[in-house]
Amino acid sequence: MSAHTNHSTTEQTSRQPILETEGLTKKFGTLTAVNNVSLTVSPDTISSIIGPNGAGKTTLFNLFTGAFGPTRGEIRFKGKDIAGTSPHSIVRQGIVRSYQITNFFDELTALENIRLAAQAPYTGFRARDFTKHYTAVDQAMEDAHRILERIELDHVAEQTASSLSYGQRRHLEIGISLASDPDLLLMDEPTAGMSPEETNEAVELVEEIAADTTLIIIEHDMEIVMDISDQINVMNDGELLASGTADEIRNDERVQKAYLGTGDE
Amino acid sequence: MKASEYLEELADGTVLDRAAAGSGSEVLSSSQRVGVVIIAAVLVVFAPIADATSPFWLNILTRILIFGLLAVSLDFIFGYAGLLSFGHAAMYGTGGYAAAWLISEVTTNALVVLPLSIVVGCGVAAFIGWFSVRARGIYFAMLTLAFAQVFYVVILTDLPAQVLGVETITGADDGLFGIARYGVFGIELGGGLPYFYLTFGLVLASFAVLVRVANSPFGRVLQAIRENEDRVEFIGYNVQRYKLIAFTISGGFAGLAGGLYVPFQSVASPGLLNWTVSGELIVMLLLGGLGTFWGPILGAGVVIFLEEQLAGFATWEIILGTVFVVVVIFAPRGIAGSLETLASDPRAAVERTKEALSSYRESIKR
Repeated sequence: MSAHTNHSTTEQTSRQPILETEGLTKKFGTLTAVNNVSLTVSPDTISSIIGPNGAGKTTLFNLFTGAFGPTRGEIRFKGKDIAGTSPHSIVRQGIVRSYQITNFFDELTALENIRLAAQAPYTGFRARDFTKHYTAVDQAMEDAHRILERIELDHVAEQTASSLSYGQRRHLEIGISLASDPDLLLMDEPTAGMSPEETNEAVELVEEIAADTTLIIIEHDMEIVMDISDQINVMNDGELLASGTADEIRNDERVQKAYLGTGDE
Repeated sequence: MKASEYLEELADGTVLDRAAAGSGSEVLSSSQRVGVVIIAAVLVVFAPIADATSPFWLNILTRILIFGLLAVSLDFIFGYAGLLSFGHAAMYGTGGYAAAWLISEVTTNALVVLPLSIVVGCGVAAFIGWFSVRARGIYFAMLTLAFAQVFYVVILTDLPAQVLGVETITGADDGLFGIARYGVFGIELGGGLPYFYLTFGLVLASFAVLVRVANSPFGRVLQAIRENEDRVEFIGYNVQRYKLIAFTISGGFAGLAGGLYVPFQSVASPGLLNWTVSGELIVMLLLGGLGTFWGPILGAGVVIFLEEQLAGFATWEIILGTVFVVVVIFAPRGIAGSLETLASDPRAAVERTKEALSSYRESIKR
């Protein structure tokens, strides 16, 4: 979206990157899933990560969220090295991801799914966290209702998550991530498996979220990628092949040769 | 279904999913609360009558309450948080031994001994939990079982006495016997009726505390851990710590059950810590209804009642086994689950039995 691009380019130069990696490498045995990746993400932008299957996109997400520790290299979030930090404290610092396959609490209600995520910052291991009734955590309940409205699921708040339709579940998945109040949201294929109409809705939601959150998106739909991204990162074989605006990527020879040129996307 | 398959299902949560079907609201609905209050009131009135006419029943009732407490403590960690502990006998037994030793050596004051039983139960659970909560499913179950057996052997061989170079602490395979019952500020609670009321009050209070914790912000996270442990970490919760604390809380109540049981029987024997106790507990939970908190007490009642009534037959375990198989096949959500469906929709309950029967036939044909 052009409006978004304008907004970001003016500030991009003056502001410190929200996320920065340097020589980031992850090996699984002899396989190098992510190889020496150095990239920069500016605040209040939408970045995309594209690349064929097995390029290391999801591994990169897993490194950002602390699911894996890196073999080598640094990940700086808001200037602070977070490599080796546990997933739950990375969430508290502001990096949250949503999943491609819906990955939540099936037998709990839609409201409870979101409320649980919203509850995390307000609770810990103090005495009252054991003795109070869970509905007494007012802020979590308010946040949850607000987010349910935002993702347009307030009418199914009391239904169990497993009984929701596919589109609703995708929205719920995003809602759970939003409930953690992210500064940086990592979205894994937010439009996967959606009908054209659902895709449009999802893109709208993504752009709405981008208004106050930095986004990194893994996406296969090139049209969407070119349309919404301020910055596109192309990965291949675990390496960062190129990084730049949509126009720069379109005209990049290496990318054309390795990826776009094949015409299968 | 083969035993090994069932164990796998237990560990990977298939059984739990079945148990959880239809839940998602809070533990103990308001109508169930009313039920608990009514049953409690009946027990309070019934106890003196039983005491006057047939003390035998009061004795059984006290045992049911103690095992009910132990079963609820396991339900908190297994049915609610989804961690199959196969080592609850360790916390129960050490809590009981702590009470036995304190009563013989220090004081019979319940206000001193029982809190220490809880502390010992918590301590043993924290120790076992520290090493076990990183594992999941069947591996967690096996680790807790292994640790519990270690405690069993430590007590059986009186290792503490050997280490400290004294003659005896746990009484080795004889155990500790002649354990007096409690008193509180000079009031003896030795009789059947006072001891029943002591047990009844503590079990009811423990039940209330566990239900409250289950419905607290902390408890709701445990429920989420049961549903999807991985995601809980990624919405910002320290899953290992939640599991460890939940296991420790559960162990405290198991320790309290031990502290109530030993003076009641006047004996602390190594058998308290044996894995068969943990196994019997799981039978009580599955019979009664996982994750319901009141079901396991019912399960404890059924098992102890059958045990007492059928003790004359050498083969009472066969009958218990048959009951268990029938419940697992026809009422996968236990007695509590069946009662719930029966109360809300009697016709559906009958339908479901047919369904269960046909699906069982299918699985046999395979």
